[in-house]
Amino acid sequence: MRFAFMCRERPGASHHRVAVVGAGPAGLSATGYLVCRGFEVDVYEKLPIPGGMMTFAIPRHRIPLDSVMEGVEELRDKFGVKFFTSTKVVCGERRDEGDDLAASSADLLKLVEDYDAVLIATGTWRSRRLGIPGDDAKNVVSALEFLLDLHREELGLGSGHLRGFKRVVVIGGGLSAIDAAEESLLNGASEVHLVYRRTIREAPAGEYEVRRLIRLGVNWVELAAPQSIVVENGVARGAVFQRMKLGEPDETGRPRPIPIPGSEFEIEADLVVSAIGEIPTPPIASECGGLGKYVGRDGRILADRSLRVSGTNVFAAGDVVTGPSRIGQAVRQGLQAAREVDRALSLKVLVAR
Amino acid sequence: MPDLGTLLRVIDYSKCMGCETCEVVCEFLHEQGPYIRLYELWGGVKRPISCFHCSKAPCIEACPTGAMRRDSQGAVYVELSRCIGCMACLYACPFGIPELSEVTKTSVKCDLCRSLRSGGLTPACVAMCPSRAIVLGPPRAVGDEVKRRALARVVQLGESG
Repeated sequence: MRFAFMCRERPGASHHRVAVVGAGPAGLSATGYLVCRGFEVDVYEKLPIPGGMMTFAIPRHRIPLDSVMEGVEELRDKFGVKFFTSTKVVCGERRDEGDDLAASSADLLKLVEDYDAVLIATGTWRSRRLGIPGDDAKNVVSALEFLLDLHREELGLGSGHLRGFKRVVVIGGGLSAIDAAEESLLNGASEVHLVYRRTIREAPAGEYEVRRLIRLGVNWVELAAPQSIVVENGVARGAVFQRMKLGEPDETGRPRPIPIPGSEFEIEADLVVSAIGEIPTPPIASECGGLGKYVGRDGRILADRSLRVSGTNVFAAGDVVTGPSRIGQAVRQGLQAAREVDRALSLKVLVAR
Repeated sequence: MPDLGTLLRVIDYSKCMGCETCEVVCEFLHEQGPYIRLYELWGGVKRPISCFHCSKAPCIEACPTGAMRRDSQGAVYVELSRCIGCMACLYACPFGIPELSEVTKTSVKCDLCRSLRSGGLTPACVAMCPSRAIVLGPPRAVGDEVKRRALARVVQLGESG
């Protein structure tokens, strides 16, 4: 990925410095735009290698690692971008998935002070929890945790303790669920169940992806919702599900799953993977000098139409603004936010803090 | 534009995951775009389509004003000052590629990022595709790459070789 696809080299250096927080598709696309406009860009990334979900969650058969790395290396070697990896930027205290790979932290408010603009693109690194009895057993993990574990092992960053489970049950119907189920099969699981509370027609991953996994050997179980995890000595032995039927459309416009009393059944498993959605993880976990009020209840950063946090030199882009989306939408926001940073700094209309 | 020989662009649908990056970067660069668009086929699968820059382009033949042209690298493009927006090119195109711009009142389509290429750069969709699903280069090289990929799918070698 040539993130700096708009230029061959950085034009005459600008004296403006921009910090990009998060080196996923949004942050790297923004960086590519900004270096082509002459800005000096420092990128902060909590994981040891840039690329975000592209490097640490999405299966390699979808995105080859060197496709991302050649773009990162070009930004670093040809455009002088400094990457501060293994560095978690935060204001206040928070723990998200993948944080154990960060070696140090940086204060967001310090960046806001030190740079002419800060662009936040920290994505969605926290998973929704099942919220059922037994979900704290050690072999109940989120899809993100599972995929991250396999990827970090492949990248020589340790762990890999989630590899090698023979019977896996994945709960959810989105792309994370698809990826977790497929990676389970590729890593030698003999029995993979994919359980979704609505039907294949409503699955967010789409009917084609579900059918593709069924062809690969995944057992698709629809109209079933998890009730509890069966735990023995702190270890999950399976999960209990309840059959559902579809009712009237809910607030999302999809038919609401309605439990059928007395329809409980159990699926035995060595590993339970919950893939019921990821939530935004902004580097703002307190009042944070007035920034705190621009974080919505769902964790999203509430930026204005120009992807700027009103009255500040902070901009935001990607999944931390929109919630989970496709790479293209993150790239779009990264480019848009970078253009707004460019406009703001070029016009010198930054509000003094 | 430097004559770098003919270019061929092929979308490798076996690699494409429908992430929309190509459409997004195209739209970001071209106000009348995007000139590569994804459409949903079935069951949530979206894939992109764009101009094939045909070697015997019917749109060039059909254009009554000589606005539809081919540049030195083989990209078929619209010379806006000559185009009358009759859309004869659209009738001629087997793939329905040319679009009428309500802003310029002309036909508009992919020109393989002429402005980027004139500066020695790669078309944006090719440069940014995360999956390397958009292959661009001299026809021979593109043919070799696509065949190499097909071969790898047919003959799957185990890790032991």
